[in-house]
Amino acid sequence: MSLELQLVLLLWGTLVGLDLVSVPQMMIARPIVAGPIAGAMLGDLGAGLQLGVLFELFQYDVLPMGATRYPEYGPATVAAVSAAHGAAGALGLGLGALVGLVTAMLGGLSMYIVRRATARAVHAVTDRLEAGDARLLVRLHVSAIARDALRAAAVTAAGLGFAHLVRLFLAGTLPLRGVTLLGIAAVAAALAAATAGTLRVVGRGASLGWFVAGVLGGTVLVWLR
Amino acid sequence: MTRARRPPLGRSLLRLFTVQGSWNYERLQGIGVGVAEEPLLRDLRAGENGAAYRAAVARGAHFFNAHPYLCGLAVGAAARAEHEGATPEQVERLRSALCGPLGSLGDRLVWAGWLPVTSALALIGVALGLGLDAVIGFLVVYNVGHVGLRWWALWAGWTHGVRVAVALHQPLLQRAAAWSGPAMALAVGMALPLSAGYLGGAFTGWAREVLAVATAAGCALLWWGRGRLTGLRYGLALLAVAALVGWLWR
Repeated sequence: MSLELQLVLLLWGTLVGLDLVSVPQMMIARPIVAGPIAGAMLGDLGAGLQLGVLFELFQYDVLPMGATRYPEYGPATVAAVSAAHGAAGALGLGLGALVGLVTAMLGGLSMYIVRRATARAVHAVTDRLEAGDARLLVRLHVSAIARDALRAAAVTAAGLGFAHLVRLFLAGTLPLRGVTLLGIAAVAAALAAATAGTLRVVGRGASLGWFVAGVLGGTVLVWLR
Repeated sequence: MTRARRPPLGRSLLRLFTVQGSWNYERLQGIGVGVAEEPLLRDLRAGENGAAYRAAVARGAHFFNAHPYLCGLAVGAAARAEHEGATPEQVERLRSALCGPLGSLGDRLVWAGWLPVTSALALIGVALGLGLDAVIGFLVVYNVGHVGLRWWALWAGWTHGVRVAVALHQPLLQRAAAWSGPAMALAVGMALPLSAGYLGGAFTGWAREVLAVATAAGCALLWWGRGRLTGLRYGLALLAVAALVGWLWR
């Protein structure tokens, strides 16, 4: 993969990471968007769609409420698509999931660090904020957004670096059964995460019936196809 | 009492798109809310050497936590209250009172409703072969609701001021909140088997049986181990086991 393509992916991953919390939350951070666009950039839309679906399922395990800590799947999906690029089917799913899940964990940790740094920056100028210094307020806000952009770039860069290593040292060495099992593990974990995450939100009330109806309807559609 | 003739709601709305940019463990969304409110307070700079303006800006940046799409309601209401001469205590009480309802309503309406519904429709679309069209459709449809909600929240906050609770009892909002749960359950429920078919197409024979068992085991483990086990941890553990077994079973 050329350096230009890696830089384009880095830029896309940074925008995706910035969108999750900071600006503008229009959901390009969702894996179902981040993955296919990354795939299209690489000329491998199929891998982008496949990993976009995979990580979108993982995303259902996360409800970003209040101050909860959660994995960041946007830049992770971009890195996953980079790892899976050119590796079709189960191999792409397995390698992509490995790179994506590790990057998502790193992304979650980095958000915690940045939020603490922003808290320290706010704390340091409390007196001037209490005096109503509007310029300082805006400067504080803009610098926090810049800090988040740097964080997103660092996470994406780390993910892309890890993807490069995985493609270089792991992709060619896996036996056929190992490739299949990695792919199965990726899909099974994503489906389990999505089902359990959705059931936690649905609960045991009236919505459970709607969930069962949806599953039955989806199963019929799969069968008809 | 100062009344802004033409409040810069557009500028405030633009800033609201960055409301969580300075999210932190000290004031949560406070700084972002203060930044979004500031354009609506500029009329207050006129009298008393801008003391009222500076005090209102300082109050606007205090601790705040709600759903980001509905923060505009608090921004508009607090700014209107400042213009109408509400006491500092009244403004602080208004902001505190809005945190809980705006957080809970937004979480139900957006995070547990509109977002999973539209993203599940995108998954269904991709699984049915619509490809990139499904993704673009998701972005467009989701953001029509997203931008509409942000604008409505700011407008309603500015219109109602301290009586903003009236806006939260809108019948349309109540109906949407009531329907978001069932709609999400139906859409995600339908997306799950279709996504399984889409991703599982790469596997045949024994691999499909292993996939079904690993998925069922994962559902059970994640359900009973909630709070301790997450999808990410289960995924990493399963990948490690798969790599090990694959290595040994050559």
